[in-house]
Amino acid sequence: KNTVFYQLFIPHCSIHLSLYFLFTNDAEGRLHQSQVAVFLLTYLGPPFNEKDFSPPRPNSTALSLPSAATRLELWHGLENQARLAQNQKAYSVLLAAVRELARSTLCPALKTSLLHFCTGLDGLLGSISALMTTLGYALPPPSANMEMRPTMNDFAKKVEGFWILRELQSWLWRSAKDFNRLKKRLRG
Amino acid sequence: MYVCFHHPDEAVISPQDPVLYIGSSLTATCTLSPELGLHASTLYWTLNGISVSSSAYSVLSPDTLSITLQNLNGSQQQSGDNLVCHGADGHVLAGSCLYVGRPPEKPVNLTCWSHNTKDLSCKWSPGGLGETHIQTKYTLKYKLRWYGREKECEVYNTGKQRYSCYIPRNLALFTPYEIWVEAANQLGSATSDITTLDILDVVTTDPPANVQVSRVGDLEDQLTVRWASPPELKDILFQAKYQIRYRLEDSTEWKVVDDVGNQTSCRLAGLQPGTVYFVQVRCNPVGIYGSRKPGIWSDWSHPAAASTPSSERLQSGSCDPKPGEQNSTLRRELKQFFGWVRKHASGCSGMSIKLYDQWRVWLQKSHKTRNQILQDDNS
Repeated sequence: KNTVFYQLFIPHCSIHLSLYFLFTNDAEGRLHQSQVAVFLLTYLGPPFNEKDFSPPRPNSTALSLPSAATRLELWHGLENQARLAQNQKAYSVLLAAVRELARSTLCPALKTSLLHFCTGLDGLLGSISALMTTLGYALPPPSANMEMRPTMNDFAKKVEGFWILRELQSWLWRSAKDFNRLKKRLRG
Repeated sequence: MYVCFHHPDEAVISPQDPVLYIGSSLTATCTLSPELGLHASTLYWTLNGISVSSSAYSVLSPDTLSITLQNLNGSQQQSGDNLVCHGADGHVLAGSCLYVGRPPEKPVNLTCWSHNTKDLSCKWSPGGLGETHIQTKYTLKYKLRWYGREKECEVYNTGKQRYSCYIPRNLALFTPYEIWVEAANQLGSATSDITTLDILDVVTTDPPANVQVSRVGDLEDQLTVRWASPPELKDILFQAKYQIRYRLEDSTEWKVVDDVGNQTSCRLAGLQPGTVYFVQVRCNPVGIYGSRKPGIWSDWSHPAAASTPSSERLQSGSCDPKPGEQNSTLRRELKQFFGWVRKHASGCSGMSIKLYDQWRVWLQKSHKTRNQILQDDNS
């Protein structure tokens, strides 16, 4: 299987948090991009699927999510509520973005793969929201659906798709650490 | 309040997302934003990640570099070829997706079949060179011949079987349909010839049911095959034809028995003794509801197997096999033994050396008694 299924049981509440990684571990534990990622990048075509390719990050609504990258001391000191809120916001934006990616793709097999992946993301988002509610944290109001998307040419859409994938990978990698941290803090 | 910040693009390529014919040429331009402070002569182009030779470039002005691509090949991927304008350090300034292909040709080889008269599946081939390289939509359309509105098939397959479609219901019998395929893309369109067919002429059924193969008494060279007509249509398959094929267990060559007619049993003769045969049967609903056309053969049934009686018999009085014979007959005997176990001992849990000895004893009995036991077990 190409998705590593990571389960975390938080003792204060009977909620299982599952994370679907976009990576797999090989025999030596190194991370490789999973099938969905390779599939999408192959679909976009070279140079998108080339190692080290990095187009400038667009500033579109699809990518208006908190950055996964933070300084260590800031990340370490995050309060539970803030930590969860950042995750919740990130995956809300990413879920909508991947759904739109799936909708606009011309390859039916890729569309199916991406939609299947969305099901996992939806489950993850649901778990995070449920956990926030159980811990007594207010959920942020759902952001209004910004219909005013500036028209982008197809290449710009590809660059956006490339960055959505990148943000997704960063966030999934970070969330694993976030939830481990959360688990320790809730126990103690 | 949500304020939308729109960063000016660092550069703009023109044309954006063009659709072009294979073999044509394209001249594109990359125009820089003045705030970049770059000169057009420092830029370079790549197509699908590969640098394009600067002999194709032309500096039109300090902020505009053009490129002329000639004799374009069909697009490398469905999402379009990536034409990118780079700064000297490799930085991506802008991109445009090229869609290079050809208009579709008339789809050909349209064939349809109906499963049990309930539905209609059709497949076709793209005409000409086949690959158009750009997104091409195929629509299967159908209408009743002398009246009726045009309808579109909705359930298309994907992947390798994308040139096929499935109509699940609401099909009329006894009146011909006109069926055709329309192909269209951004460079043109084409329509296949119209195929006229009557659903009853293209029916295929499920394979025959309950195929069983058994020995004919003690005859070493014969086996009997019995089957039931496919359950779904058994009430109307009066004239159905059947076909049998069989082969030796280790062989890949099938022998076909063609003139089976509409019986539901057949005797195979001229077989090798003491050998395992695999047998399959299939059905053709010819003449269904008065159709005068040959129908379509069903899939072959699951293979059924049986073995012909062995010509070597352990008729000696003692319970021990003759020393020389043991190795050569052992495997064949074991095969027959397991078949017997499945029939007479419920499941494999009853297997033991005692059972094997019992079987060896049973083999000694006369064939009359053996048939008696077989009949008793079948009741």
